[in-house]
Amino acid sequence: MQEFDYLRPRNVAELKENLSQPGARILAGGTDIIPQLRRGKSAPKILVDTSGIRSLRFIEDQGDRVVIGAMTTHQEIAESQLVSDLNPALRIAAESVGSTQTRCRGTLGGNIANASPAADTLPPLLVYEASVLIQNLSGEREVPLESLVIGPGQTALEEGEFIHSISFRPLTGRWGSHFIKVGKRKGMAISVVNAAATVVLDKKGSVSKARVALGAVGPVVIRCRETESSLCGKVPDRKVFEKAGEQAREEVRPITDIRSTEEYRLHAAGVIVARVLEAAAEQARGRMG
Amino acid sequence: MAHHMISLLVNGQKEKLLVPSNLTLLHVLRDMLGLTGTKNGCEAGECGACTVLLDGEPVNSCMVLAPELDGREVITVEGLAKDGQLTPLQEAFAELSAVQCGYCTPGMLMSATALLRRKPHPTQQDVQEALVGNLCRCTGYQRIIDAVMVASRTGGAE
Amino acid sequence: MTENYQSIGKGVIRKDAWEKAVGKALYTADLPVENLSYGVILRSPHHHARILEIDTSAAVRVPGVQAVITAEDIPGEKVFGPLIQDQPSLAWEVVRHLGEPVVLVIARSLKAAEQARESVKIRYQELEPVFDPLEAVQADAPQLHPDGNVVSEIHVGDGDPEIGFQEADVIVEKTFSLPRISPGYMEPEASLAVWEDDGTVTVWVSSQHPFTDQAAISAALNMPVDRVRVKGAVIGGAFGGKEDSSLAILAALGAWKIQGTVRLVNSRRESFLAHPKRHPAHIHYKLGARKDGTITAVQAEAYMDTGAYASYGPAVAMILTETMTGSYRVPHVRVDTFVVYTNSPLSGAMRGFGSPQTHFAVESALDMLAEKVELDPIQIREKNILHPGDQIFTKVTINDSALALTKCLQKGRELVEEFRAVPTPEGKLSGVGIALAAQSMGLGANVPDDSSHKLEWAPDGSVLIYLGSPDLGQGLAAAAEQITAESLGIPFDQVRSLPLDTLVTPNGNVTCASRMTYLVGNALVDASQKLIQALLKGAGRLLDIPADQLNYQNGMVLKPDGSEIPAVEFISRLAEDSITLEAESTFSFPYPEETTPQHLPIGMPHVLYCFGAQVVRVEVDPDLGTVEVTHLAAIHDVGKVINRLGVEGQIEGGVATGLGYALSETMLRKGESWVDSFTEYLLPTALDLPENYQTIILEVPETSGPYGAKGVGEIPLVPTAPAVANALYDAIQVRICDLPITPEKVLGLNKVS
Repeated sequence: MQEFDYLRPRNVAELKENLSQPGARILAGGTDIIPQLRRGKSAPKILVDTSGIRSLRFIEDQGDRVVIGAMTTHQEIAESQLVSDLNPALRIAAESVGSTQTRCRGTLGGNIANASPAADTLPPLLVYEASVLIQNLSGEREVPLESLVIGPGQTALEEGEFIHSISFRPLTGRWGSHFIKVGKRKGMAISVVNAAATVVLDKKGSVSKARVALGAVGPVVIRCRETESSLCGKVPDRKVFEKAGEQAREEVRPITDIRSTEEYRLHAAGVIVARVLEAAAEQARGRMG
Repeated sequence: MAHHMISLLVNGQKEKLLVPSNLTLLHVLRDMLGLTGTKNGCEAGECGACTVLLDGEPVNSCMVLAPELDGREVITVEGLAKDGQLTPLQEAFAELSAVQCGYCTPGMLMSATALLRRKPHPTQQDVQEALVGNLCRCTGYQRIIDAVMVASRTGGAE
Repeated sequence: MTENYQSIGKGVIRKDAWEKAVGKALYTADLPVENLSYGVILRSPHHHARILEIDTSAAVRVPGVQAVITAEDIPGEKVFGPLIQDQPSLAWEVVRHLGEPVVLVIARSLKAAEQARESVKIRYQELEPVFDPLEAVQADAPQLHPDGNVVSEIHVGDGDPEIGFQEADVIVEKTFSLPRISPGYMEPEASLAVWEDDGTVTVWVSSQHPFTDQAAISAALNMPVDRVRVKGAVIGGAFGGKEDSSLAILAALGAWKIQGTVRLVNSRRESFLAHPKRHPAHIHYKLGARKDGTITAVQAEAYMDTGAYASYGPAVAMILTETMTGSYRVPHVRVDTFVVYTNSPLSGAMRGFGSPQTHFAVESALDMLAEKVELDPIQIREKNILHPGDQIFTKVTINDSALALTKCLQKGRELVEEFRAVPTPEGKLSGVGIALAAQSMGLGANVPDDSSHKLEWAPDGSVLIYLGSPDLGQGLAAAAEQITAESLGIPFDQVRSLPLDTLVTPNGNVTCASRMTYLVGNALVDASQKLIQALLKGAGRLLDIPADQLNYQNGMVLKPDGSEIPAVEFISRLAEDSITLEAESTFSFPYPEETTPQHLPIGMPHVLYCFGAQVVRVEVDPDLGTVEVTHLAAIHDVGKVINRLGVEGQIEGGVATGLGYALSETMLRKGESWVDSFTEYLLPTALDLPENYQTIILEVPETSGPYGAKGVGEIPLVPTAPAVANALYDAIQVRICDLPITPEKVLGLNKVS
C-alpha cells in the first residue's frame, strides 16, 4: 500500500480543518477505499479518517424528517427499529450489503460518496427523495441525493466538502416500501440489478404516489419517473405492476460487464420493479390509513 | 512518512506501538505482536480469514488501518480461551469436526463469537448470515454451522 | 456391521483440531524465524511477450535489498514441471502468461523488497496471445513452445463406433464447455527457506508432495538431494493446487543467494494468476443408443486448456479420457483428447482431475438420451450401468466393488421419489435430477506409486507415525492413526502422526488421487505387523523365550504360560539399551497382471474406482432465471468408513465445491486481466447451501483396501454439477451445456454484445 498521512479528527470542526488541506480524502469505513489503495487505484496524500467522530454516527427521528449521520454503519441501519419502521426498504438493503464484517465498517456516507452504480443503499434513499447535508470549512449546503451522485465513482462533492448526514421525510397514510436485489449468489452478493419502491395508496386503494429506483442498470442509480407517473391513480394489481416493469425497462441503460449482460439486466430490471412495487403495495394495503 | 503512536488493548494486554499509517491491523497482529492465529487470506475483505473483534464487533483486520486503533480493544483467536480453558464454541469446533485445514477456523470463531455474544440463542439462519463473510473450501460449512448451534446450547462464546 | 472394531468406523476428533481452534497451528507464513528476509516476485504484466531487457541496476541500490535474482542467476535447472519440464522458475526471453514470475527480489524488509520490485525495469515486446484451445491448435495461432501448442494427445477406442452408431436408433450430440476453476484453498501458497551454516538448506512448504519439492530444489540449486531438507508446515487446503513446486524453488534460491532465511508468500491475486486451476475444456460428445435405451456407442473429442505450461495436464487428460463412458457399459468407443498450450493461467491438478469435466458431459447426455427414448433418468441408468466383471474401453475390468454402483442407484431412486414429493412454492418451478459418478483411484498403471511410512514405539508406550505424505487438512493423519491403533490393538489416543520432514520421514509419495487412506492404510497395517514382530523379538530376548512362542494382543505380550505383560515394559527396557522399536513399510498401488501397459490401449489406466450418486432438487424462478438447490443427497460408497466425521466432512466439502462448479465459479477474462479476487470469483458461502442436505454412506468392501476402505477425496464434487443441470432441465426444460449455470444462460440472455 502506498504511503499517506493519516489524520483522525475527533469532531466536525477538526474534520473541516483537515479536509481543507490539498490532497485530503475521507476514509469513512474503508471497505471500498482500502482495497483501492492496495491496488494502487487511489493515491491520496492525506487520509482523513472520520470513524472517530461520534457526532456523525446517529439515526434520529426529527419529527418531519429521519436523519442519519454519515458515519452510521450498515449494521447499525440494518438493526435500527426506526429505519425498519419508517424506511423498510433501506433496512433490507443495508442488511444485504456484504458480510457482517463489512457492514460493521462500511458507512452510509461512504456508500454514497463511493457512488457505485450497484450501491444497495441508494435506491431506498432515492425513492424517499433523500437529501444530503454537505459541509465544509465555509459553510454547508443541502442537495438532493439524486443530484449528488453524477457518475460511476463520481459525486458533486467539491474539494474540502464532506457528507454530514442524509435525511428523508417519512411517508404518511397508507404506504409501503421495499427493496429487492438480484445477485450471483446468496451470500455477500453484489447487485447485478437492484430496485427499491415506495407506494402510497389513497382511501379508495388506488395509487396516489409511487417511487421507483433501479441500481446497476446505468452509470448511476436511476429514478424511473415515467414509471412512477404511469402508476398514479391506478388500482394496484399484478398486471399494473408488470406493465410498470416494462415501462421501467425503457428508462434504464444497462451495460454488459463481468457480472451480467445488458439484456439480462434489462429483463431482470422489469421483473424486480414489478415485484418490488407489488410488495410495497401489499404493505400499504395492510396499513391503516 | 507519518508514524503514529498508538495504545490499544489486545486480548486484554496493553500494547503501545509506533505504526506507519498504511499498516493494517492484520499486520500489526501478525508481524508486530506475533499473533499469527489471525490469517491472511485475501487482503481485500472478501474471505474473512483475518476476522477479529474490534470493540466487540467482527471486522476484517486487513481493512482496518493501524492508526485508527488508538484507544481501541482487539480480541483475536488467541484471546478466546482463558487460562487454557477453551470456550464452548472452540470445543464444539474441535469435537464436531468443524475444523479441516483450519485456515478459516480463527475467523469463523471470531464471527461466531460476535454472534453468540449479541444473540446467545441464534437460529440456524442467523448463524449462516453471521458466517457469510467467512469463506471455507474444506467443510461445506455444514459442521461449522452445527458447531455454532451446539455451542449456543452448551454455554456459547464465553 | 458385526465387526468389533475399537477405532475403525468411529468418529474421532482429529488431533490437530485443538491447536487449530486456539490459533496455535503454524502454517508456513506463521513460522517464527530470526533474521528473516522477505522475498517478492516481479511478475509478467503481459499474457505473452518477449523480454527484451531486464534492468535491475536501480533495484539493487534500494537500501535493504539483498538480492535481485533473474533466471541467469539460477545455478542449476532453470525449468521445472511434474511431467514435462517446461516451466521456468523465473522467465527469460519470453513470458507466456500474465503473472508469470520474472524477477525475485530479496530484502531485509517487505517494504524495501516491494520498493526494489518497482525499480526493476523490464522492456517487453508484446506478442499476440491465444486463450482458447480450439484457436491454439490452428496452424496460424501464436506458438508458445518449440514443439507447437499441442502438449499431448490421446487417441483410444474399443470396438467400432461406426458400427455402434449404425446400430443406434437415437443419437445425442452436444458440445459441453467447462470453465476455469480455482482450487480456492484459503491459505495462499507460501514457502520459507533457511540456509544452514553447514551449507544445507531447509525449506518449509505448503505442499502436497514435499519429496518432489526436494528434488526440484536440488536440481535448481545444483545441490545433492541430501543437502536439501524439506519440512511440511500445517497446510491450509490444497485440493490439487499444491502439487506443483514453484514457490519452494524460489524461496530456496533466495536463501542460497543471500545465505540467509527467506520467506515468500503469494497474495491472493498471485495465487489466482499463477497457480494451477481446473482445466477448462470443450468436450464434443456423441452418444448412440437403441430404442430401448441400450447405449451402443460413444464418440468424444476433448480440447483442454492447460495454459502456458503443461503442469499435470497430460495426466489429467488420461482420467478425463478414461471416464468418458462414466459409469456405463458402452461397446463401441472412440475418444480423442488434446491438451493444448495457451496464454491462459496455468491448469493442472485439481480435486477430480479431469473427471468433473467428463461427468458433466456424460451425465447430461444420458438424461438427453433418456428423454429421446422415453425412459426416466433412473431407468436409463439402470439399463446401462456397469456391473462387476464388466470391461470398460480401457480394457480394465471393473471389480466387485462395482456392486456399489447399483446400490447407489437404488438409493438414488428412493431419493428422487422423496424429492419429487416436496411441494413447489407459488411462482417457482421445481425439478429433480440425478447423476452417477465413477472416479478412479490412484496414479495409474504406468506410474510408480510406492508409499512408505514408518512406525516407532516410544518408551512411554505411545506410537509415532512418520507419515510420508502430508495431511492437507482433509484428515489423513487421523485416519492413519485410527488404522494404526486398530492394527496394534491400542487406543487411538496413543498414536500420533508427526509432521513430514524429508530428513527422517520415508517417502510416502504425493497426497492426491483419492488413494491416501488406501495407500497409507495398507502400509500401516503391514508396518504394525512388523512392529509387533520387532516387539516380540525384543521381548523374547529380555524374557529369554523364543519370539515365536510369544504372542501379542491389545498392547500386551502373551507368554506361553498364558500370563500377560504390558508391552510398554519391554519397550522402555529396550529403550534403556538404546534399542528403538520401529518398522517401515512400503505399499505399492497394485495393478493386476491383465492391466500391465502392453495390454492396454491407454498409457496409464486406472483400475480401481470409487462410486457415487447425487440427487438434487432445484427451485427455479422462471422470471429471473435464478436456480436454487433446495435439496441434495450425496450417496457415496467408501468401501469402509475409517473416520466417520472425516468421511462426512470430505463429502460435505466436496459437494459445496461441486455446487460452486455448477452455479457460480468461473475465472473469466476481465478487461486485460483475469478474475483475480474473491470479489468476482464466487465460492459458495454459508448461505449458499441446500436447505435440506444429507450424506448417505455405503460400505461395499474393497478387498484390497485396509479394513475394506477405499477413497472418497475427489468424487463428492463430481456428480453435483450434472445433477443440478439435470434437475434444472426437469424443472423448466432448458438444457445448459456450459458451466456455470447462470440466470443469464437459463433465460437465454447471456449474449455478450
